[in-house]
Amino acid sequence: MRLSLLAPALLLAAPALAAPDGASLFANNCSACHQAHGEGIEGAFPKLAGNAFVQGDPKAVAETLLNGRGGMPSFKDQLKDDELSAIISTVRSSWGNTAPPIPPKTFTAIRNGAVPVPAKPTPGH
Amino acid sequence: MDMTRRSFLEGLGQIGGTSLLLAGMEAFGMGIASAQTAPPPLQGGGKGKKVIILGAGVAGLTSAYELGRAGYDVTVIEARSFAGGRSQTARKGFQLTELGGETQTCQFDDGYYINHGPWRIPFHHRSTLHYVKQFGIEVELFNNDNDNSYIYTTQGKGPLARKPLRKMEVAADARGNAAEILAKVTQSGALDKQFGADDKALFLEYLKTEGYLEGKDYAYRGTEGRGWISKPGAGLHPGVPSKPYAFTDVLDSGAWRVLASVSEWDQQRTMFQPKGGMYMIPTGFVTKGGVGDKIRFSTVVEKIRQNGRTVDVSVVDGTGQRSVVSGDYCICTIPLSVLKSIDNGLSAPKQTAMNGAAYAPVGKIGLQMKRRFWEENHWIYGGHIYTDDMDIVSVSLPSTGWLGPKGVLLGYYQFFANAAKVSALTHAQRTDFALSFGEKVFPEYRDSFETSFSVAWHRVKYNLGGWAMWSDESRARDYPVLLEPDDRIYLAGEHLSYIGGWQAGGIESAWMQIAALHKRASVA
Repeated sequence: MRLSLLAPALLLAAPALAAPDGASLFANNCSACHQAHGEGIEGAFPKLAGNAFVQGDPKAVAETLLNGRGGMPSFKDQLKDDELSAIISTVRSSWGNTAPPIPPKTFTAIRNGAVPVPAKPTPGH
Repeated sequence: MDMTRRSFLEGLGQIGGTSLLLAGMEAFGMGIASAQTAPPPLQGGGKGKKVIILGAGVAGLTSAYELGRAGYDVTVIEARSFAGGRSQTARKGFQLTELGGETQTCQFDDGYYINHGPWRIPFHHRSTLHYVKQFGIEVELFNNDNDNSYIYTTQGKGPLARKPLRKMEVAADARGNAAEILAKVTQSGALDKQFGADDKALFLEYLKTEGYLEGKDYAYRGTEGRGWISKPGAGLHPGVPSKPYAFTDVLDSGAWRVLASVSEWDQQRTMFQPKGGMYMIPTGFVTKGGVGDKIRFSTVVEKIRQNGRTVDVSVVDGTGQRSVVSGDYCICTIPLSVLKSIDNGLSAPKQTAMNGAAYAPVGKIGLQMKRRFWEENHWIYGGHIYTDDMDIVSVSLPSTGWLGPKGVLLGYYQFFANAAKVSALTHAQRTDFALSFGEKVFPEYRDSFETSFSVAWHRVKYNLGGWAMWSDESRARDYPVLLEPDDRIYLAGEHLSYIGGWQAGGIESAWMQIAALHKRASVA
């Protein structure tokens, strides 16, 4: 009995010890639109490779991930700050991009300062 | 400070405020849903003036049909090889290639389909129903709620989480227990300041009815409506009623979270669907409405310009041939997500305003099952299996082909970041993902599966999203800018309505703009 209680606890604790993997998080959450190598699709999804905005002001970039923009959804509820940080830091240093990482605290600060958005009903049609 | 009965009841009303207010407004014809019931009269006619309509979705088709009837010379430019825009139906042979994705060819058996775009028409969408009637489109009822369907929670706790629960059981137990508690609080005198003795008695009477309460102690001990352990039958079979779950288990399960899923105004019954699939709506315009002859299919807009007298649209057709289509006016129904990347020549304020609309990533998958196990084994006829797993949201059983051999069900219907995530999977992976959820609810699910068709609307060329969404800020700042014409160009579509994402929004937006266009053309 004691063993069976211990096992799930260990399983839960394991991922917390490892830093989130930015590359696989990007593949899972972002690549459907921005494509596997950040190449985007012209007229539809912005190219992230060589993108000045992506490599620019960390606050503006972090706000975009948290709140969404245009066709891009908000990832606020789906991803934690360390995961968002891992994704964007990977993007800013891949495919020829050379911008410094954006730490989790940048995301946390925006969340803490954000005006709470009222919950929307399930948007089914 | 004594609260009067009126202020107490009004105070309660404010808790659920908006929906009550909106329902009240609708009664006065002021509601947000489908305010118009018939197309505008275009008196005096169009006198042969030429109107170019961009897009053959329901907004473009409506514009072409009504303006054409009034004597305008209309030409519809459509990028796809078929009409309907998002009003599509995947059926045998239907093809879809998502941006960055593989080409799917639908392999459903003849007669089976999934509406991967719009799929239901509420009773108050008078505009959509106007054309259903006008074109004699056959409809059947769409079952948007089912007491016998299941709720399956993945986030909940306790013995009722992660197992299929009948909706009737959860609904009865949640109502019954809540009513019992409220009745006991009321009996104890806790609300005596709010209520006079007469009102208190009426309120208790209401709770008794609402929550199936019994006896002097107002106890909830279950109700027939939550189902049976053994069903009543002939002879010596009176039936064995089911027993309520422990209220804490119901609360812990989180199943109550989805009970209000189809209670909103735009989800209420009665609902309809066209027989054979939603594409029957555009087909009605194209065939019975005669709009088909006016559409240039497989023709893509490359550039839009106007000079104060004409609107000139540069297009390229399916053979690569380029040409310019000119008219006196233009109705542009291209989604803003797409229009903003076209060399559209619109004024600077319009360009800015277009950025105010967000487009919803949306995913759906249709799964053809070789037998209707949900009907045969589970007695579920249509409706939705609800879950708090936001990568799935709902599994919906078909409201067509009842008691027939096979069926196509909707395996997921997710939105936003969840849709972005699921859309990163290949079609085969999406199918497996959907089956992995469904088999938790129905043991027959995976073995019965035959073939599937999926869509991620944000990755569909010429749409780039399921529907437009406006924040309060952009609704106030940008939306009104786009309602105004840009000289001779009028924008229309669901994105320019308060019925966003519904066909009624596209139709009524078209009605509004053709009325404005006609008013101007009549004095010019």
